[in-house]
Amino acid sequence: MSVAGNGSGAAIEYRNVFKAFDLPVLSGVTLSVEPGEMFALFGPSGTGKSVLLKTTIALVTPDRGDVIVGGESVYFGGRDALERIRRMVGFVFQYAALFDSLTVFENVEIGIPEESLKRMRANEVAHRVSESLELVNLDPSQVLGKLPSELSGGMKKRVGIARAIAGRPEILLWDEPTTGLDPVNTAAIERLITQLSDELKVTSLLVTHDIEGGLEMCDRVAMLEGGRLRFCGLPEDFRASKDPVVNAFTDRKAATAALDTLEIT
Amino acid sequence: MAPSGFVGRFFIAVERWSSSVAEHAGQLGLLAWNIGVACVRLRVSKRDILRQLHIIGIQSVMIVLIAAALIGVVTSQQGGYQMQSQIPLYVMGSVVVESVVLEMGPVLTAIVMVGRVGARITAELGTMKVSEQIDALVSVGRDPIEVLAAPRVIAMIISMPLLVAMANLMGITTGMISAQYTLGLGSETFFYGARLFWHSYDLLYSLMKALVFGVSIPLIAVHMGLRTSGGAEGVGRSTTQSVVFMTLTILVIDALFPPLFLN
Repeated sequence: MSVAGNGSGAAIEYRNVFKAFDLPVLSGVTLSVEPGEMFALFGPSGTGKSVLLKTTIALVTPDRGDVIVGGESVYFGGRDALERIRRMVGFVFQYAALFDSLTVFENVEIGIPEESLKRMRANEVAHRVSESLELVNLDPSQVLGKLPSELSGGMKKRVGIARAIAGRPEILLWDEPTTGLDPVNTAAIERLITQLSDELKVTSLLVTHDIEGGLEMCDRVAMLEGGRLRFCGLPEDFRASKDPVVNAFTDRKAATAALDTLEIT
Repeated sequence: MAPSGFVGRFFIAVERWSSSVAEHAGQLGLLAWNIGVACVRLRVSKRDILRQLHIIGIQSVMIVLIAAALIGVVTSQQGGYQMQSQIPLYVMGSVVVESVVLEMGPVLTAIVMVGRVGARITAELGTMKVSEQIDALVSVGRDPIEVLAAPRVIAMIISMPLLVAMANLMGITTGMISAQYTLGLGSETFFYGARLFWHSYDLLYSLMKALVFGVSIPLIAVHMGLRTSGGAEGVGRSTTQSVVFMTLTILVIDALFPPLFLN
């Protein structure tokens, strides 16, 4: 099994993570993401990419193994460490996961940690919310009072991103942020991911099916297959890989050929 | 080797059912404990409680009063039918008041609240669970118990005794009016009969029931909502199970109350 990164001083480090629901999903994944890095995680559907991402802030608890974020253990560091880790991390959900009953303002405001909210005055909170919306190219005056049901799919995703960055995190986790979007919106969100990673100087871990987008944007990429790490390295190495499973993700003809020979769920 | 035959299957079913009940009971206990801790640590927002009081309490007043009014009428008319020419009519006052206060008021209000509030809570939290809104809440460092569960449970605990008190009053009033029109029983005679068998403890008993229902309904609803999985179908399944679970719990608690508190 290949191991990504050297692990010392890593922003995120997955250590031998196992997780099974009815069937095994993750079977010993070890991987590290370095500070400031943009890292993409590819793989067939159902192979555990989103589950791995969710173990980073204990939304899913692994059966075995540990995750280290910013030098602290997610699962053995205690409640205070987990709270610190969650403040450090922003999570962008696949379908935005906005709170239906809250306005856009309230949805973004909730992304600011409670401790910070207590210290901030009302106008500072309003400024932070507006600033976060502007960073995702939304006009606050147009959307602040709207409910999620009044927004388009692309706008919902942007509000979800604004919520994730409202707490000014050091790490951003992106769970298939372009799923369900048209090509123009996909390009816009991808540009936004790069722009935010540069402007906010965050570490980004991106789970995506958009292979070309991921290879273009990211410093390193990895591929999960059957709950294990199949590839980890530079985008150019991924493109040049001779592994048929990796090839199936970069070449449509290879993908069709792989259907006959590989067990892809 | 798996046991075969009727007896084997029976024991397997009993074992599964028992472990499922134990699992639910354990999770409900933990949920109640966590809500208690959130309340003691003053981690529950007053604004959220007031919002839930409006949804759970104020918005339920009308349906509870309508149900109570009908209960009063039905109790009075059926009582009158059974007692005609056999028992003095003033006993009707006691029959209506005691039936409404001890049984019909709390239980029917609880059943109405299961449908109006319990099902709503499970469906709402279940939808939030399957659409990752609960995960989103956790990801921004908020505790779903403090933000979602506790305000609903607190609001229900406050609302339920008040709603049952209103239902009792409405049931007695409509029972009295119905007795007046159908049996020719005057209000003075009605209240004479009512006072004859009345104990102040009966009202306390009624409100105690209301309080226990007020704790049970939202706890089960929240518990079932938070363990929902499997998309829209899962939300439907969870809500149905929750309504069945809440209704059975109310009836079991109702059956346990007389031997525990009336003898």
